[in-house]
Amino acid sequence: MAQQRDEDNFRSQVEDRLDHLFQEDAPDGAEEQVGLVEHPLKNLKAVLLSIDWEITDSTMDSLLNEIKNVEYVYSEDKILLTFLQLLGSIGRYVKANKGRAHPEATRVINSVYEALEKVALTEGMSRPEKEKMLLEEVAKFKKLKEQVVLRKAEKKEPEVVEVSPAPPAPSPEPSPERERIPATGIPAREEPEPEPRAEARFAAPHEAFAYALEEIKDVIRAEFRALRAEIKLWRESK
Amino acid sequence: MAIINLKKKEVQAKIVYYGPGRGGKTTNLEYIYKKFRSRIQTEMVTIKTHGDRTLFFDFLPIEIGKIKGYDIRIQLYTVPGQVKYESTRRLVLRGVDGIVFVADSLAVRRKENVLSLKSLADNLASYKKSILEIPLVFQYNKRDLLEEGIPLLPVEWLEKDLNSKLQVPSFEASALKGPNVVQTMKKIIILTIDSLRKDLT
Repeated sequence: MAQQRDEDNFRSQVEDRLDHLFQEDAPDGAEEQVGLVEHPLKNLKAVLLSIDWEITDSTMDSLLNEIKNVEYVYSEDKILLTFLQLLGSIGRYVKANKGRAHPEATRVINSVYEALEKVALTEGMSRPEKEKMLLEEVAKFKKLKEQVVLRKAEKKEPEVVEVSPAPPAPSPEPSPERERIPATGIPAREEPEPEPRAEARFAAPHEAFAYALEEIKDVIRAEFRALRAEIKLWRESK
Repeated sequence: MAIINLKKKEVQAKIVYYGPGRGGKTTNLEYIYKKFRSRIQTEMVTIKTHGDRTLFFDFLPIEIGKIKGYDIRIQLYTVPGQVKYESTRRLVLRGVDGIVFVADSLAVRRKENVLSLKSLADNLASYKKSILEIPLVFQYNKRDLLEEGIPLLPVEWLEKDLNSKLQVPSFEASALKGPNVVQTMKKIIILTIDSLRKDLT
C-alpha cells in the first residue's frame, strides 16, 4: 500500500513538473490558412508532399501528370502557367536524376509551389505583386540550373540536364518546347536509392560505427562539392 | 540505458524520436525548442544536409529538475529517416530508454510507416531490447493536412497497421503547428521515468 502511494506520488511529481515546464500559452490563432479542399491545386500539393529524397518513378510521374492537369485548368493565366512550367522543368530533372539530383532541387520545387499557392489563393493580389513573386522563383530556378551545370562539370558524370528556357518575365509566355540534353550525350542511369550497406546489418557495434562514419563521409563529400560549386558561382558573379 | 548516478543523485534518460523520412521527427524537436527555449535553457544541436535533411541526429537536452531528490535530465534525439542511414539509426538507438514513433499520416506513406516500425523492432533487438517492453508512444503526425483536403490515412488504419499488437498510447498531432507535440513528449517522459523508477528506490 505504502509503495503504491509512493509510486503515485512520484508520478504526480513528474507530471506536475512537466506541466509547469511545458505549459502552453493560449493558441495563437493568428495564422489563418486558406483551405484547398476543392481547389485545383489540392492534388498537386498532395503529390508534392509525398515526394521525398526516396524518389520513385511513380511519385515523379504522378507529379508531372498533376502539373499537366493544373496547367490545363490555368491555361489562360500566364503567370500561374509559368509557375507550373518551372515545377515541371525541375520535376523532370529530378525524375531523370533521382538520388543524384542536386539537393537544392527539392528546396526550389517547394519554394516554387509555395509561391504558386500564394499567388493562386490570395484574393486581391495585384498583377505586379504576382510578377514579382514569379521573378523571384525564376531567379531561383536559374541559379539551380547554374548549380546543376557546375556540379556536372565538377563530377564529370553523366547527368541529364533539363534545359528549359527560363520563362521571360515580367510578362512570361509559356514555353512548351523543352530541350532535353544529356550533359555528356549519355542518358542518365536509373539509379535506385542506395540500400543500407548489407554488411552493416549484421556488423558488430564497432563495425556499425565504422559504416555509419562512411555514410557520413559520403554525405560530407557531397556537401563540400555543392559548397564549392556555390562559392565558384559567387566568385563569378562578383 | 539511462545513466543513474546514485551518489550524485542524477538520472539521465535517452528518448529517441524514430520514424520514416520526412515524417516530422526534427519538426517535433524544433517546435519544442522554439516554444520553450526560455524555459528549458539548453541548446538544440542539429546537423542537416544541404537538402535540409537530418544527417546524423538532432539532440535536445532538457533539465526536468529535482524529483525525489534526483536531478532528472532528459535527452531527446531524432534519427535520420532516410532509408540509407540504417547503421546511423542503429547507433543513435544505443542506450535508448524511451521511443516516440512519429508516423507519417499521408496516405502515400503507409508502407514506409510499417517498414520503419519493423526496422525499429529489428534495431532494438540488436541491442537485446524488445519493442514490446520499451516505453513507446505513437504520434500520428501531419493531421492538420486533413483540413486542406490532402488524403491522409484514417487513424483507425494507423492504429491497425502499427499499434494493434503493441497497444501503447498514441496521439494525433501536427508537429508543424503544435497540437499534441508537447503531450506526446510529456507522455513518453512519464513512461520512461516510470520505467526507471524502480532503480531509484
